[in-house]
Amino acid sequence: MTTTQLNRKLGSAPIRRNLDPADRGKWKRFWLLIAIAAVALVPIAGTFVLSLRGNNGTGDFTLENFVHVIVDTQVVAWLLNSLQVTLATVVVSVLVAAPAGYVLSRGRSRLVEGYSLLLFVIQSLPVITSVIPLFILFSGMGLADNLIGITVLYVGSSMSVATWMMASYMDGIPGSLEEASWIDGASVFGSFWHIVLRNSLPGILSTAIFTFLMAWNDYLVASIFLRSSGTFTLPIGVQTFFQQHSTDWGSVMAVAVIMMLPPALVFATMNKYFSVGGVAGSLAGR
Amino acid sequence: MAVLIAPSVILLLLTNAYPIVYAAFQSVHDGSLINAGDFVGLDNFARVLSGEAFWKAAGFTLVFTITGVFGSWLAGLGIALVLQQKVPARGLIKTLLLLPWVVPVVVSSTSWNWLLSTDSSPIPTLFRSLGLGEVRFLSDPFLAQVTVCLFIVWLNFPFMMLMMSAALTSVDESVYEAAKIDGASPRQQFMYMTLPIIAKPTYISWVLMTIFCVNEFPAIYLLTHGGPVGSTSTLVVLAYRTVFQNFQTGPGVAIAFIMTIALATVATFLFRQIRKSRVE
Repeated sequence: MTTTQLNRKLGSAPIRRNLDPADRGKWKRFWLLIAIAAVALVPIAGTFVLSLRGNNGTGDFTLENFVHVIVDTQVVAWLLNSLQVTLATVVVSVLVAAPAGYVLSRGRSRLVEGYSLLLFVIQSLPVITSVIPLFILFSGMGLADNLIGITVLYVGSSMSVATWMMASYMDGIPGSLEEASWIDGASVFGSFWHIVLRNSLPGILSTAIFTFLMAWNDYLVASIFLRSSGTFTLPIGVQTFFQQHSTDWGSVMAVAVIMMLPPALVFATMNKYFSVGGVAGSLAGR
Repeated sequence: MAVLIAPSVILLLLTNAYPIVYAAFQSVHDGSLINAGDFVGLDNFARVLSGEAFWKAAGFTLVFTITGVFGSWLAGLGIALVLQQKVPARGLIKTLLLLPWVVPVVVSSTSWNWLLSTDSSPIPTLFRSLGLGEVRFLSDPFLAQVTVCLFIVWLNFPFMMLMMSAALTSVDESVYEAAKIDGASPRQQFMYMTLPIIAKPTYISWVLMTIFCVNEFPAIYLLTHGGPVGSTSTLVVLAYRTVFQNFQTGPGVAIAFIMTIALATVATFLFRQIRKSRVE
């Protein structure tokens, strides 16, 4: 930092704060946004408050709802099912989408273009159309009501967006990097693995977060495929719970809070890697 | 190259292409979930298209989609514009505002149900104490429609906020400096500069959101189950109920198939449009 820059930084800041109208408005904007957030977050805040409120009528804050659902119900088993399915979906999605995205990014043939269009069209179709035939197919293969079966379905339904996100990220990696490695004798697969994938970490994380949310939050597919409580994921488990204990809001909300934690945690730690713009950018750029 | 894309192609064929072909087959048969039944030609389609439920659901799908797309866009763009300027704790506020989109819909629909569903729920109680009378958000057909539309806007405005924020950051600040010197009002700056600059990301976000809204299932089903008296049934909810509650596989798949054909046509057209705008 030069002396001039330092002087400017030290000297002018307090003066500008008083004079610049843009600065005067910033607290107004702050309170406006806080008001919007406060209204928008009422349902979520209500969930937390109810989950912590005792059922003894005193309204005291307690963890008894959490203890109850963890000890007396199948919530922990459902949580583990959800975690297992979601993590498997994330890993397999990235493993499938990264190489496919590479082909979409580098390939310039009509076939590749057509595949890109096909992915877009498939993505727009209602899941309900494919769910019924798949239910029949998977029943025959013993994959309905099965955690592996549902993982395959999640990978299938997140594949289009995941592939675009990877392709769009890889568009930003200069092709000269691989060309150099080809000259050194690397294969297409080798240079993809060692050069491109290593440079795609932010793209991979963004794709992973997207598929994580999709798999963790899914209700439709799980509600049709998962039939026995041993295979339930949390969204399905909490629904049966809701129907049986409709007056026991404390317990229902405790499960809801447990269900919110993993995505909230993922966002709190990896927010900076996630860009929904990537979804749009991949559409716009391809 | 072929090895790299093979897993993706196999998955696409298994989880998307095969089911669509089979669904086409089912839509012209009178079978159940397990048994395909006899070939009935276009009977299922005729039955569906001549029924009142289909057109009612199609109408609500249209209303729901239009409100969903433009409601969440306006809210998301508005917030993105404010966030674009200097705001204390901007990152934290942005993360908080993302929550409706991040929280599983099973959770948020439960919260909304708790807030609205019965006469003793917090919001009806609040309305009563404000002297607005008994408001039955989920049991009055019209109010249930309004509530479901509000819910989809609430669920999706954070997504729009992210899309629009990304679009606005790409706008070059110096353009505004120049406009200010030329005496353009904030409204003029917005209408003639900001909007045209973010036009393309906006168009793409509309396309994506339209597809999301037309296909939305859990947000509606978990809040109202499509009721009361079918008032909040969209085509997807109607197809689901036809197959899994009335066990009429043929007509249910026919509804889904009509949607599939319509969406595939629209999607192909929109994809071409996006492609074209890239070349120019």
